[in-house]
Amino acid sequence: MDVSEAVTSRRSVRAFLDQPVDRDVLRRVLETAQRSPSGGNTQPWNAVVLTGKPLQKLLGKVAEVIPQGLAAYSPEYNIYPPELDGAYQERRFGVGEAMYTALDIPREDKASRLKWFARNFQAFGAPVLMLVHTPRYMGPPQWSDMGMWLQTVMLLLREEGLDSCAQEAWAVYTKQIRECVDIPDDHIFFCGLAIGHGDRSQPINQFPVPRAPLDEVVRWEGF
Amino acid sequence: MSKSTTVTEAVMSRRSIRAFSDKPVPLEILRQVMETARWTPSGCNFQPWEGAILTGEPLRQLQEKMKVTPPQDPKEYSWSDPEVIPECLARLQQVGADMYAALQVERGDKEGRADFMARNIVSFDAPAVLMVYFPRVMGAPQWSDVGMWLQTIMLLLREQGLDSCPQEFLSMYAKVIKDFLNVSDESHIFFCGIAIGYQDEEDPVNHFDRKREPVASKVQFLGFE
Repeated sequence: MDVSEAVTSRRSVRAFLDQPVDRDVLRRVLETAQRSPSGGNTQPWNAVVLTGKPLQKLLGKVAEVIPQGLAAYSPEYNIYPPELDGAYQERRFGVGEAMYTALDIPREDKASRLKWFARNFQAFGAPVLMLVHTPRYMGPPQWSDMGMWLQTVMLLLREEGLDSCAQEAWAVYTKQIRECVDIPDDHIFFCGLAIGHGDRSQPINQFPVPRAPLDEVVRWEGF
Repeated sequence: MSKSTTVTEAVMSRRSIRAFSDKPVPLEILRQVMETARWTPSGCNFQPWEGAILTGEPLRQLQEKMKVTPPQDPKEYSWSDPEVIPECLARLQQVGADMYAALQVERGDKEGRADFMARNIVSFDAPAVLMVYFPRVMGAPQWSDVGMWLQTIMLLLREQGLDSCPQEFLSMYAKVIKDFLNVSDESHIFFCGIAIGYQDEEDPVNHFDRKREPVASKVQFLGFE
């Protein structure tokens, strides 16, 4: 698969087929992804890849606390900045609206929307979940390095015919994650990455996710 | 490299290029790369990234300004600071040692090393440079989004036979760059430059071995047969 096709065919997949993922494929992907660049060659990324019983244990533990709502949340960072202006809020709400429209769940039906949101914590049925963490002393530029690595992983997964969904949502259950997997205390938990074979026939995997036009993002000087 | 570059080939063949040929980069190719890179994911679909791509006269003018400006104090942000990031020091020193060995610059040759570092200002003679900045309000997770966008761009450039070098170094001139581009210093932080062009294949600085940690020290597998 060429790079362009991988970039444009990658989307956050939120319904997976019940088909296991070969460990050797994941090893190959992660081996290649080690070639991601990082400032000062720091390579700040770390991860735990779960499947089978350890994954079920985590999903079960989180399911127990979901009914507690916000009271059970234990994020270690702000997923999005508290003070954001209109354009970014529009982009954020745009995805949600596009998704719930595809699912035919109106805004008033809060219960159904919450139920869908909770599917985050079943990794949308993916057979594999990768949990990403990094030492706490890493600064914002090293988070950028982690992003480079994550996108490398997601594009390499496309090449292997696999889909993924990057899930910062997992950050709200950091406490339960720490109870199930060994993430060092001096590391911060960043996000999950659901990995599997996407069920591309589902409407949830088909709605268009808009992007800002190029001219809003990039300027050209001297061409 | 042809249009059929696989993701793996792009990831493996991408490296920080520190000597470029003077072959210009066609605007149409860069437009195509940047158009496709819009499909990079970001938390909440914020797409926090912004940038300006410079070539020709504007790029030369900006570089002239940087040449006569001392590195800014305080820094725009703290990048790979060895005092803060212990393992970084050893890895940074390793890259430096390998790079200067390839360039045949001796360890004690401070002037030779400084001369090469200064070549960062002219982005190693790359014909185009992407200057990357974004609103200061963005937090660490949005820096990760910007990273995803940058790697997408660098891999798409490989597909077009182009090379790149991400340069946090240029943040030492963040204010000069923002002033030149009329980007507000109050609202925006400057992150890095991405030098873009065709590599000079003869130059040894583009060929030294780059080291990475083994996967086993980075990733733990649980529950697999």
